[in-house]
Amino acid sequence: MKETIGTVPLFDLNRSAHCNASLFQGVDLDTIKGIEADWTPVFNAAAPQNQPEDAHWEWAAKALQALRNPLSYELFGIEADAKTQGMMLVLKGGPKCFSRHPEHPRAPLVYLDFLATAPWNRPGLTATPIYKGVGRVLFMTAVSVSIEEEFAGRIGLHSLPGAEAFYRNRLKMTDMGEDAAYQNLRYFELSETQVKQLIAARP
Amino acid sequence: MKRTMTLNLTETEMTVLERMCEEKGLSKTALVRQALRLYKSVDERLARGEKVFVESADKAEKAELMVL
Repeated sequence: MKETIGTVPLFDLNRSAHCNASLFQGVDLDTIKGIEADWTPVFNAAAPQNQPEDAHWEWAAKALQALRNPLSYELFGIEADAKTQGMMLVLKGGPKCFSRHPEHPRAPLVYLDFLATAPWNRPGLTATPIYKGVGRVLFMTAVSVSIEEEFAGRIGLHSLPGAEAFYRNRLKMTDMGEDAAYQNLRYFELSETQVKQLIAARP
Repeated sequence: MKRTMTLNLTETEMTVLERMCEEKGLSKTALVRQALRLYKSVDERLARGEKVFVESADKAEKAELMVL
């Protein structure tokens, strides 16, 4: 089931102004079809050297995963111009949801399983991206879920190489190094202190 | 929608629950919710035929986790 849970700001790069978008929880068939119809052709049209690392992610399968296990999974998305501008799958419990950060070892956290912005919003894929801020809004939604679950906003995730700079430099997460148990992807955490700093710095 | 239940625990169980809530900074509700998610996650893996192991810090011992 898909439900709109709020209005969020995105920066419209063509107009150089903020605009309102819809934040929704859950997913429906139209959203999945829309992603397949709108995102996939842009990914496929990208030159091999520009092929995004997440182009193979199957959001239909992820939606099914979330629907089958609503106890632990939450799916969120952002819509503007009647198109999905970004999607995110978070995990609220299970073995991945324990902190490795020295600030609070073993404390519970929300694990950000997948986060993707629509291809037309990515500077690496288009010379004229449409919206800025989709990834940040979705990430802050995960922080909100973590606070709601009494996890103080703590977030953990494994980053694809192309997104490492976003998590390390833009969101100021702690880079905890390569994880040999997870395809050698780098593991990042947003500690309680970093949550407070991120919220305070929020524009 | 949330539903409410009454949970009857022994003195020992309640002591452990309260201590863990204090350590983790969670309410009793949040801690039980997390315990349920972890239990379900492990149980589902075992039901699929996967195995869950616990290894000592020095890697000298490794035990398979069994779930009721």
